[in-house]
Amino acid sequence: MIKFLKTIGARLSRPGSIVVLGVGLVAGMVFFFSVGSFMVYANSEEFCANACHEMTVHMAAEYKGTIHDTNRTGVRATCNDCHVPHEYLPNYAAKLGLFSDYWGHFVTRSIDTKEKFEAKRYELAKRVWVYMKENDSRECRHCHTTAKMDAEKQSEKAQRRHDKGRSEGLTCIDCHFAIAHSEPNGPGPQELSAAAAATK
Amino acid sequence: MPRRILEKVRKWSAGRKAIVVLLAGFAAGIGMLALAGTTLVYTSSEAFCAANCHEMATNVAMEYKGTIHDKNRTGVRATCPDCHVPNAPIPLYIRKMGAVNDLWGHYISHSIDTREKFEAKRQVLAERVWAYMKGNDSRECRHCHTVAKMDSDKQSDKAKARHAKARKEKLTCIDCHFAIAHNEPVGGPGPQEMEVDRSLISRGAIF
Repeated sequence: MIKFLKTIGARLSRPGSIVVLGVGLVAGMVFFFSVGSFMVYANSEEFCANACHEMTVHMAAEYKGTIHDTNRTGVRATCNDCHVPHEYLPNYAAKLGLFSDYWGHFVTRSIDTKEKFEAKRYELAKRVWVYMKENDSRECRHCHTTAKMDAEKQSEKAQRRHDKGRSEGLTCIDCHFAIAHSEPNGPGPQELSAAAAATK
Repeated sequence: MPRRILEKVRKWSAGRKAIVVLLAGFAAGIGMLALAGTTLVYTSSEAFCAANCHEMATNVAMEYKGTIHDKNRTGVRATCPDCHVPNAPIPLYIRKMGAVNDLWGHYISHSIDTREKFEAKRQVLAERVWAYMKGNDSRECRHCHTVAKMDSDKQSDKAKARHAKARKEKLTCIDCHFAIAHNEPVGGPGPQEMEVDRSLISRGAIF
């Protein structure tokens, strides 16, 4: 055993060694594992709802008790399910967008009081609505598979409205808005014209 | 690795190209882990599980079609891996290694390659899953169904009464909610009749 360790030591101290490759390999794995783990952690309700008071006192508090938080079966959709893309590239893009959150939290303090948040609520809601309209409510559809919805288990009103939504080319967020956070005053997603959606 | 390449890497590592070797190793490390992760994700998808071997496709996946976890009011689904593949990292790796058993059954022993063989083995297979779920307090059920977030006011009176009874008797999900996604085996004992060491039932203690 000691002899084995000595051999390893000798290999390490000798520059012309394959160990360099091994060190790089392990470092690469550790790096990738760390990034991956951070991504998973940063997509958890535990992180999103608690990491800054802006989220905790405004968004997370409003979400409590809504249908996506508590319901008959206890199957939930938390912050990230609706607001973080699930596919790789959009996910990375969204994670880079975090810098905007840092900027708002540490530098401009744009929504650090209830008053500031309420004043900005419409603008923030509109930003999310436009994002969801543009990608055809991609995050909704990650959980809600339209093809697997059993229309017969829905109310007649729901069936009718879904038919209407389909024929008018609407997307989920056009009707299902302000279901997890309070509704802002101002035009809703359907009133936002396609032109407005395109120019943001 | 062929000896010649190995020697070349050694020679490079000695000189100023050592940094190149280090970076190559770094990239290879990322690549290997990415490949492993992607494999885990892909082999935990409905597309893979339900379509890759006819044993799954013709028996269990067919039976699952149209059940509440496949099709329902909201279209929120639980597919094969949601119930049968652990989400916690260590149990996941253990389960993935257990897949060697599946390969054995498929390629070597052909244990359930016809409907008849499958039906003959159904009770054994079901009991195996029930024992696993009882042993980990229905961990995979609970990954989606958060008990603390169930709104009992929205449940039927029968469901409320039964859930209360089950809590008192220390039952776990699978004790009652069995054969909800696949046909019920005929004849043998159900999960509640099975002897499983109840001291094992503490969440996360068991893989």
